[in-house]
Amino acid sequence: MTLNEKKFIETALLSDLRIDGRGPFDYRNVAIKFGREDGSSEVQLGQTHVMGFVTSQLVQPYRDRPNEGTLSIYTEFSTMADPSFEIGRPGVFAVELGRIVDRGLRESRAVDTESLCVVAGKWVWSIRIDLHILDNGGNLVDAANIAALVALLTFRRPECTLGGDNDQEVIIHSPEVREPLPLIVHHFPVAITFAFIGSESTVVIDPSNFEEAVMGGKLTATLNTNGDVCAIQKAGGDGVVQSVIMQCLRIASVKAADITNKIKKAVESYNTERALRKIKRHPDPVVDVSKGAGMGVRSLSIEMEKTRLEIEDRKVNRSDDREIETHSSKKTGSSRDPYSKGINGDELKASLASRAAATSVEKMDVLPSVKTQFTMIDKTPTEMDSTPSLQQTIEAGEQTIKVKTLMDAVKPKHRRKKKTYPNHDLS
Amino acid sequence: MDLEREGGRGANQLRPLDCSRNVLNRAHGSGSCSHGETRVLAAVYGPKAGTKKNENPEKACLEVIWKPKIGQIGKADKEFEMILKRTLQNICLLTAHPNTTTSIIIQVVHDDGSLLPCAIHAACTALVDAGIPLKYLAVAICCCLVENGRIILDPNKMEEQRMKALVHLVFPSPVQSVLPEGSKEDGIITSLSHGVMTVDDYFQCVKHGRAAVAPLSNILTKKLQSQSPSNQSVAG
Repeated sequence: MTLNEKKFIETALLSDLRIDGRGPFDYRNVAIKFGREDGSSEVQLGQTHVMGFVTSQLVQPYRDRPNEGTLSIYTEFSTMADPSFEIGRPGVFAVELGRIVDRGLRESRAVDTESLCVVAGKWVWSIRIDLHILDNGGNLVDAANIAALVALLTFRRPECTLGGDNDQEVIIHSPEVREPLPLIVHHFPVAITFAFIGSESTVVIDPSNFEEAVMGGKLTATLNTNGDVCAIQKAGGDGVVQSVIMQCLRIASVKAADITNKIKKAVESYNTERALRKIKRHPDPVVDVSKGAGMGVRSLSIEMEKTRLEIEDRKVNRSDDREIETHSSKKTGSSRDPYSKGINGDELKASLASRAAATSVEKMDVLPSVKTQFTMIDKTPTEMDSTPSLQQTIEAGEQTIKVKTLMDAVKPKHRRKKKTYPNHDLS
Repeated sequence: MDLEREGGRGANQLRPLDCSRNVLNRAHGSGSCSHGETRVLAAVYGPKAGTKKNENPEKACLEVIWKPKIGQIGKADKEFEMILKRTLQNICLLTAHPNTTTSIIIQVVHDDGSLLPCAIHAACTALVDAGIPLKYLAVAICCCLVENGRIILDPNKMEEQRMKALVHLVFPSPVQSVLPEGSKEDGIITSLSHGVMTVDDYFQCVKHGRAAVAPLSNILTKKLQSQSPSNQSVAG
């Protein structure tokens, strides 16, 4: 860093200006993305890019803690993040980062290690977090902490039971056999970093890499929304007045609440998307129209009933502002998602039209005798009214079956709803 | 004898391929490539001054660092490093920058089969993004031999585990040349095989792989061209 650049940054800060246009206490935008598997996260904090992966393994516990699982953090300062990072053994900064994240997560008892015990003294789960720093845009600690937290929250460990003779053998169930379980996380420790720049020790939050090259000292505070301070790290550097430190902690608690909200939202949307994916994998046999003629008619009328219930439900849920791909839930008609936002009327009409057209075509194959009724409806497919008219024709045809189908339509849905949302413990 | 592949793919159908340039800020060049679910990130730093100890100073030197998703670098990863280095040495114009070192760092984001071809495409994208002079692009494909003797392209992880034999092939991407004669760079740059297969099967795999070169290279060049070079200064 040239002297000119240093002077420029310091002088600009005297007028409360930072070189990327932020104010001294403005945090950069946090973008949280997930990978394909459970327990993989990608966090972008401005130009800083960090990836986290969580894996688990059954190991023997430590001698002095026979009924607790272990949590270990491995930090990789990849050479791609910064030309000054070198391959080989992790340098001082990598170790320091790993220790700060570790203290925030493990020593504050954020992750419940006692629930990771399988057989006391013999088998416990060992959770391993790998953090890869891909791009150094400054403030790696905060980004790495968020990545580790998010990966832990979306990780699912396989379920295992005791079996064999003596009940001493541990059988690990594959995810297809038994649903894997999430980890128990009590609170979310979020790290916020401040930098002290210049002779007057101007404080800035979330330093970028240029500010980090110029700063005289750094303070990282790990807080959670309960008001607890999980860890504070100020390793040397310029001396700072006590009142400044208190001010930093106050600001940090506000920012921590912000970031915790973002994390919660991101994890919830991931969980609902994951649940939707599970529903798509196991299509409901009732809605499957291709299964023979007799079943066909009954299931079609069920589908029509469900469509009607769905429309009503969606009108009620219009106030929700959660975005879900609604076309996926329309495909398997019975997968009602309580978080679906209200669809705009045109989309619904178009989809119902396509479905009505599709089902009417199928009906023509199944019931050739009532062909004449449906040709009329084919010509006017774009109204929502087509569904009640189709229903009326079905009603005329099979009155008794209609009564049965309403009950069948309602009951399995409720059962399924309870099954697919078992573990939502994000308080 | 219709082979049932996951996702309804045919034996010669590849997974959707996506390439993007300039995904990282600090690296001189960066690229990300995904074959279906397999995703690899590559970054390039260079050319930096000086070559390594035993390298020829009259040519540029390439250094490949492979970062696995979890854990430390292992033997298989070191082998990938060596293969990538030799492959990229073939496609780079080494005499353009003598006595320099270019580092290519590969990070595995997700492995769902066909990892080496994905890594080669990512490395090519990153080299293009960094502006390193290349003779041609490399196009890589993975051909798999299943039990009933059929050859399938671009297997995913499940198919790779059940296969009888596997071949990774790297071909040069066809260059639109001014000369009327076809380019004589038509050979196989790299071939890496696992498992047991007869000689005929191997040549069949090469034939199937070569057939996939043209569409693959079209997709690659289109993806690389469509992203306009951004003129951003490093200072914020």
